[in-house]
Amino acid sequence: MPEPIPVPEMTKRCGGFQMSVLAVRGLTKRFGDVLAVDDLGFAVQPGEIFGFLGGNGAGKTTTLRMVLDIIRPTSGAIEVFGRAPDRRNTGAIGFLPEERGLYSNMSAIEVIAYFGQLKRMTAADARAHGMELLTRFDLADRAKAKISELSKGMAQKVQLATALVNRPQLLILDEPFSGLDPVNQGLLEEEILRAARGGAAVVFSTHVMQHAERLCQRLLLLRKGRKRFEGTPDEARAQLPSTIDAMAPPAIAELDGVARATERRKLENGLSEWTLDLAPGVSAGDVLQRASARGLPLRRFEERRATLHDVFVHLVGPDALEGESRA
Amino acid sequence: MTLRNIFLVARREFAQVVALKSFWLTLLLIPVALAIGPLLGDSLDDEEPTRVVVIDRAGGSAAAALAARFAFEQDRHALQALSRYVRRHKLERADPQAPWAKHDRWYTPADVMAFRAAGGLEAALARIERAKPADIPEFDRPAADYEIVAASGTLATAEGDALASQARRLVQASKEAPKAERADLVLLIGAGYPADPTVRVWAGDQPRASFVAGVQEVLTADLRHRMLVDSGLSPRQALAVQSAAPAIAVTTPPPGGGAREALLVRSIVPLALAYILMMGLMLSGSWMLQGAIEERSKKLLESVLACITPEELMYGKLLGALGIGLSMLTAWLGAAAVVAFATQGAIADVIRPALAPVTSPGAIVTLIYFFAMGYIAISIVFVAIGALADSMSEAQGYLMPVILAILLPVTFLIRAILAGNSGPLVQVLTWVPIWTPFTVLARLGTGISALEVIGAAVVLAAFVALEMILLARLFRQSLLAQGQKPGLKVLIERLRPVAN
Repeated sequence: MPEPIPVPEMTKRCGGFQMSVLAVRGLTKRFGDVLAVDDLGFAVQPGEIFGFLGGNGAGKTTTLRMVLDIIRPTSGAIEVFGRAPDRRNTGAIGFLPEERGLYSNMSAIEVIAYFGQLKRMTAADARAHGMELLTRFDLADRAKAKISELSKGMAQKVQLATALVNRPQLLILDEPFSGLDPVNQGLLEEEILRAARGGAAVVFSTHVMQHAERLCQRLLLLRKGRKRFEGTPDEARAQLPSTIDAMAPPAIAELDGVARATERRKLENGLSEWTLDLAPGVSAGDVLQRASARGLPLRRFEERRATLHDVFVHLVGPDALEGESRA
Repeated sequence: MTLRNIFLVARREFAQVVALKSFWLTLLLIPVALAIGPLLGDSLDDEEPTRVVVIDRAGGSAAAALAARFAFEQDRHALQALSRYVRRHKLERADPQAPWAKHDRWYTPADVMAFRAAGGLEAALARIERAKPADIPEFDRPAADYEIVAASGTLATAEGDALASQARRLVQASKEAPKAERADLVLLIGAGYPADPTVRVWAGDQPRASFVAGVQEVLTADLRHRMLVDSGLSPRQALAVQSAAPAIAVTTPPPGGGAREALLVRSIVPLALAYILMMGLMLSGSWMLQGAIEERSKKLLESVLACITPEELMYGKLLGALGIGLSMLTAWLGAAAVVAFATQGAIADVIRPALAPVTSPGAIVTLIYFFAMGYIAISIVFVAIGALADSMSEAQGYLMPVILAILLPVTFLIRAILAGNSGPLVQVLTWVPIWTPFTVLARLGTGISALEVIGAAVVLAAFVALEMILLARLFRQSLLAQGQKPGLKVLIERLRPVAN
């Protein structure tokens, strides 16, 4: 299990525009009559892993393409390293698109070096760092093999190397886990953490909550182009009240702060198994304290916090999770 | 937009095409053709003279007259060829009084007799050899047109159906049969000649008009001679009447300098360039298209566009395609130059004067400008198609009408230029930018005014600039629109300037 990364203090402290690697304000993109992104704003700091969550068609890829200057916004502002996005930033950005492919008749090292050079590296530096990456990915012996001769998993590693070859300060990954085998998913997680430890800001879009839960220090939920939530995973989970699983007498259902009590099974000694939904603003501790004050015998009292999945379904809707089961 | 990115893309595109076997096959096609052309030509040439069996049942004088006539024509042919050789290489000093050193005439029997009297072709070549510098190629002896052979024993005596049957068997024998058992023509002068002047010919194929005319002329002269003698003239007087003929003086330009010949020779390189432009465009266009479609079908574009602008990608592709075109041009012209100046022979003799009209600085600049601009003007269309299509089969749908629209008029144009025609079609095509490069290149050999060249160059430059603007928009806006088949309305929308 990769070691989690602490949230940079700067993220909470600065909140300002000028310290961010990436900052977006009032970003709107229309394609004809379709509003793809609607008044979006967020900022990503150095060393931060920022999850960009949303269902299909939520506007994630469109936003990332605007950040990369592949398409231009209808309105709003984007700052990458403190200036409007353009190809002068290329040397500091690594990008792994959702739809991936490589030049099949080039060798692995040639492809990596080519992308390195497009990102303003010298040919020698691009090749040298490309070889380092291939060695790290256990592909050094296939460096001169043509892409068409590599397995799909190997090609995925080469593709990742093309995104990392320039040692990016801002790593943008669009649905990076999509289509990866479990081994390469693990490799990618390690590389994301490594990049963040090295001070790079990592933005990745996904609709697979497990990855976001494991990696993200902050996340943003999009629905139909609009921001529904931005904050830490804990803050996200706090969007939904906790539930309590308890073995207690029926009087527990009448305590203040319990919005709804569901009796799941009757037990001996007048006890039952309960699921308690708490009212907004009420914590499990409050309920426990009130139960103790009333002298209610408790055989079991377990708080169950909302998962990101629950929050996502709550904020974005269950349809948006199509495909999560694949991951 | 940075030149570095454009060059990086161009280099990758170039390397991708150079890695293709089809590129090398195409590149080596012309040099190999130039190398093996003369050998192949020699092996394909049928230099065996036409074998004519003459059966003269009327005493043999007619057969002798025919043999003499064919021998005379052969010597005149050799004399003419020698005269052109001497004139081309300025070898008159070998014997200024010899008939082959005098070029302004249609050689008469007297000239041929003088040629024979001086030792014929062998003696003439020996004299020329003494005056000929070492770097001048050897004289290529013309092959004899006819070989008169005597009839075999049975054929010589056969009559009626047996004669006809044997003659037919002889002319229908295959080429592989021994020489003695085959002939191309069998000619019978009957025993009743000249009272019955019927001459019978059996032929395996339609006899040449020159042969029939020659036989007719010889036997007509013989018949007239006999009639003149019968009417009381002495044989000498009759011969004098028969041989009275005007002396015809003929003035011709030096070899390669005649109007029609000059037109063809001068047009070789410009027309070849137009062809090379056409072939190069079709080939490199197709390679470029495959590359563009690979980028789309393998979903590479987004990764590339995160690093460079669509314009850099487009210009890089164009530059790569131009590099391929210029490489082919350089290889092919280089091979032609090697053949022209480092070798000797028929092809070198043609290429050397052919290169002459395109060696001036102005002509070179014009060639390079129109070749390069032509390449860019049409390659842009291929690039745009590559941005529109998701597969080669889809690309073919766009490609076919474009190729037909470009190539059909060019085919007519080249035919018109070869026919020496500079009529309305040629004039119109000169000013329609998509055909301007082909037309100007093709017309360089036949003559095009400097004003027309400059005007066409300006129009072409303006067209390419407009094309770059419009098709760059189409390219930019079509790149990421995968899976959408645009209709005409969408295509027109994409030509408009919008942010994205």
